[in-house]
Amino acid sequence: MKSNKRTWLLLSPGITWILFFLVAPLIMMIYVSFWTQTTFSIKPELTVTSWVNFFSSDTYFGALLRTIRIWLTVLFVTLLVGYPVALYIGQFIKNKTLQTALLVTCVIPFWTSFLIRVLAWRPMLGKEGAINIVLQKIGIIDAPIEVLLFTELSVIIGMVQIYVVFMVGPIAFMIGRIDGSLIESARDLGASSWTIFRRIILPLSMPGVIVGAIFVTVMVLGEFATASALSGRKVNLLGNIIITQVGSLKWAFAAVAGVVLTIVMATFVAVMLRIVNLRNQL
Amino acid sequence: MDKVVSLRWILGIFTALFVLFLYGPFIVMGILSFQQGPEGGPQFPIIEWSSYWYQHVFGLAPPSRVAPLPIGEALIRSLTLAFATMVVSTVMGVLTAQAFRRPFKGSAVVFYSVILGMIVPGVLLGLGMVLIADQVGVARNWWSTAFVLHVVYTYPFAFLVMLAIFNRFDESVEEASLSLGVSPAKTFRKVTFPIIFPGVLSAMLFAFTLSYDEFPRTLFTGGSDVTMPIAIYGTFAVEIHPNLFAFGVLSTLFSFSLLAIYGILLTLSVRRQRQRASGLQEDIS
Amino acid sequence: MLEVKGVSKSFSGVPAVEDVSFKVEQNEYVTLLGSSGSGKSVLLRIIAGLLTPDAGVVLLNGEDVTDLPCHERRIGFVQQKYALFPHLNVFDNIAFGLRHREVDPIKNESLVKQKVSETIALVGLIGQESKMTGQISGGQKQRVSLARTLVTEPKICLLDEPLGALDANLRERMTIELQNIRSELGVSFMHVTGNEFEALAMGQNMLVMSEGRIVEQGIPQQMYATPSDLITAKSMHNFNIFSGDDLHKHMEAGTSDKLSAAKIKKAMHCAIPMDRIDIVAASAKAKGLRAEFLTSEFLGNKIIYFFKTEDGHVCEVEDHMSLRERRELTASTTYALKWKSKDILYYDENKQLLG
Repeated sequence: MKSNKRTWLLLSPGITWILFFLVAPLIMMIYVSFWTQTTFSIKPELTVTSWVNFFSSDTYFGALLRTIRIWLTVLFVTLLVGYPVALYIGQFIKNKTLQTALLVTCVIPFWTSFLIRVLAWRPMLGKEGAINIVLQKIGIIDAPIEVLLFTELSVIIGMVQIYVVFMVGPIAFMIGRIDGSLIESARDLGASSWTIFRRIILPLSMPGVIVGAIFVTVMVLGEFATASALSGRKVNLLGNIIITQVGSLKWAFAAVAGVVLTIVMATFVAVMLRIVNLRNQL
Repeated sequence: MDKVVSLRWILGIFTALFVLFLYGPFIVMGILSFQQGPEGGPQFPIIEWSSYWYQHVFGLAPPSRVAPLPIGEALIRSLTLAFATMVVSTVMGVLTAQAFRRPFKGSAVVFYSVILGMIVPGVLLGLGMVLIADQVGVARNWWSTAFVLHVVYTYPFAFLVMLAIFNRFDESVEEASLSLGVSPAKTFRKVTFPIIFPGVLSAMLFAFTLSYDEFPRTLFTGGSDVTMPIAIYGTFAVEIHPNLFAFGVLSTLFSFSLLAIYGILLTLSVRRQRQRASGLQEDIS
Repeated sequence: MLEVKGVSKSFSGVPAVEDVSFKVEQNEYVTLLGSSGSGKSVLLRIIAGLLTPDAGVVLLNGEDVTDLPCHERRIGFVQQKYALFPHLNVFDNIAFGLRHREVDPIKNESLVKQKVSETIALVGLIGQESKMTGQISGGQKQRVSLARTLVTEPKICLLDEPLGALDANLRERMTIELQNIRSELGVSFMHVTGNEFEALAMGQNMLVMSEGRIVEQGIPQQMYATPSDLITAKSMHNFNIFSGDDLHKHMEAGTSDKLSAAKIKKAMHCAIPMDRIDIVAASAKAKGLRAEFLTSEFLGNKIIYFFKTEDGHVCEVEDHMSLRERRELTASTTYALKWKSKDILYYDENKQLLG
C-alpha cells in the first residue's frame, strides 16, 4: 500500500499535466466541433451544421481528399526510398562503427530546425534552382522543369526528404537486429538471395516498417507549413484549413477539420497495430 | 554470389544518392548564404561571394530594402521558453520514469497517455488549447499556453530516455545505501541521481532542442509576442532573401553546438572518473 | 539480539517465507543454508527492512523493528553482487554511510578518515583507497562492500552469499578472514549461502531453510553427522538417501549386519553416509546391494564413485585418499555395495530422524 501511494505521488505531476493540457484540449476539440458557428462568434448549442457543411463543401472535402492523396504518396515514396537504404545499412554494412555513423548521418537533419529544412528546398526547386541548373549542365534537359516549385510535386519532394528519416531509422534497426547466422544457414541450404529477402528479411523488418509508417503518417497528416511554403499556398491540406479557420475565428469548422484528421490518423494507426503487435517487439 | 556483390554496389550507390538528397538542400542553402548583397537574390548564380547576409542577420549591414529579420527578442523568448520547458519536462520525465520502476495497476494507460503527447500533431493540440483558452478567457502567451504545450510535447521524450536508463539501473546500490542508514531522499541525491546523470543530460538535450524548434503548437498558442520559429515562418509569406539562408546556416550551427556541448559534458563526466582512477595507479607503480 | 518470530511473506499468493522463527545471539556467527528459491534472500531482505512481512515480527535487542524503514534499523547488509557505488572511489564508498546516514552523520572529515582507514586496514585494502570500483578485483570488491557496512558499526551484519562470486581459492581465504574480522569486531554475522561447506565451516550456529521454512537449526558438526531432518540430510550432499517401496528390500540387501527391526519398521526414508559404504565384487554369495559402476570423480583429497542400482537409483560412494588407495573398477560392471547397520539414519513419514 505504502509503495502504491509513492508511485501515484511520483506520477501526479505528469498525469495532471497530461489531463489538463493534452486530454482536455482534445476532448474540447471534439466538443466544439458540434457547437453553433455564427460569423464572428460561437455558441455552445449542439448542432451538426459544421459537420454537414464540411462534407458538402468542395473546398473542405477536396482538402480532405488532397490530404489523403499526398499522405499516401509520401508514405509510399518514403518506404520506397527508405527501405533500400535501411537494407543497405542494416544488412550490407558489417562494421558496427560505420553502421552507426551512417545511421547518425541520416538522423542528423532531424536535429536541425524544421522550418529551415523546409526553407532549404526553395533554392533547390525553383526555375533557376539548383536541380534545374545541374540537370541542364549535365545535358539531361534543355529547358528548366517548371513543375518543380509551387506545385503538389514540390510539397511531396519536401515532405519525403523531411520525413524519410523516420522510415529509415526503425527499419534499419529491425534489419540490423536480424541474426546473421540465420541468413548464413539459409544460404548454406541453397536459398537464393530473393528467397532470403522474401522469407527472412522482409517479415522480420515488418515491425520497423509499421513503426516508420505510423511516424510518417502522424507527421504528414498534421502538416501545413511545408505545403504552404513549397506550394506558394496553392496546395491546401486539412492542416492549412485549420490555420485559416482559426485565423478567421471559425472555431467550430477548425474543430471539425481537426476531428476528421484525428479519425483518419487513429484509424490508420489502429489498423497498423493490428498487423503487428508492437509490444512484443520492444 | 555475383548477384549479391552487384546488389551491394547498387544499394551502396543508392544510399550515397540518398545522403546527397538529405544534405543537398543544406549545402545549396549554405552556398547561397554567401550571395552578394543586398542586390543578390536567393538563387544561382552567385554574383560575388560575400558575408553581407550574415552581417544583415546581426543587424550590422547598412539599411536596405530588405527588412532585418525580427529575431532579437524572439531569440531571447525562444531560449527562455526552451530552458523552462527543458527543466519542467526533465523533472517530470525523471519522476514518471521513477514511478514506472515498480509495476502498478494502470501503468499501460498512463504510458500511452504520456506517449500520446509526442504523437498528437501540433496543429490539433494547438487548436484544442486555443479553444480552451478562448472559453476560459485566458490570454494566449508564449510563457503560458504555448509553454504548457511545449512540455506536453517534450515530456514524453524525456520520459522515454529516463525509462531506458532505469531499465539498465541496478537497484541494489540504492538498497545498499538505505541499509547504510541513508534516507531515501538522500539516497536519490547521492546515489541514484549521479548514476543516471548521463540520461538526464540526454533528456535535457532532447527537451531543449525540440522546444527551441517547436512551431505548430506555438503558432496557435503563442500570442502576439512571437518566438523564433514563428518569426521565421512569418517571413515565408513574403519574398525570401538570402538573409534567411544565412540565418538557417547559423541556426543549424547552433543546433550542432548544442549537440557538441552535450557530447563534451558526457565525455567529461566519464573522463573525470577515469582520471581519478588513473592518478592513483601512477602512485602504485 | 536479533529475533525473528513467525515471519511470513508471499508474493501474489505464492508463499516465499512461511512462519519463520529463530534467534541470533550477540557476537555470534550464524549461517543460513538453503538452495536457490528456498526463500533465504527474501528472509534476509525482510530482516534488513527492504521488504515488509505479511505476518510476524522482527525484534532487535528486544525492540520491535518490523515497521521501521530500512535506513533506521542499523542492520548492515552486504549484498550478493557487492552493489558498490560505481561513481565513487573505494574510500568514498566506505565513507558513504558515515557521511550521509540519517542518524548521527559524521561531519568531521578527519574522524571519517580515521574510521575509514581503520576499516581499510582491517579488511586488507590498504593502498586501494582512490581506485574506482571498476578497477579492483572481485575479492577486493567484496572487501569494500564489507568494509562499507562494518565501518557504520551495525548492530548485526547480514551477508547475502558473500562468497558466491569469488573463485574457489579466494573463497577459502575469505572464509577465514571473515571469521577473523567478525571476532575482532565482536559483531553478529548472519551469513546466507547455498553452499553446504561454507555454511558448515563458518557458522557457530546453522539454520537450514527449504521451501520458505526453517527445517533445522543447530551446531554444524552435529547437523552434518546426524541431521534430524531429511531435507538437511539432502542439502549436506553427504548421504545416499533411499525412499519408497523398495526401501526395505534395498536395506536388507545392502546392510552387512543385522538391521534394527524396530526402526526399519517405522522408517520411510533411510540415509547412508557416502563415506561409510564398501564396494565388493558381485560374486554370487557376496552380500550387498547390486549396482552398476558408472564413473568416478577424483577430487584431490577424495574420490567419488557413481553407481546405478537396478531400479535406476544413483548411489555415490566416497573414499578419502588418506584412508585407502584408488579402487580399480570397471565401468558398466555390477558390484555389490554394503554398509553397516549402525551407520544408517532412519527417518519417519514426516522426514524426522528416528531416535
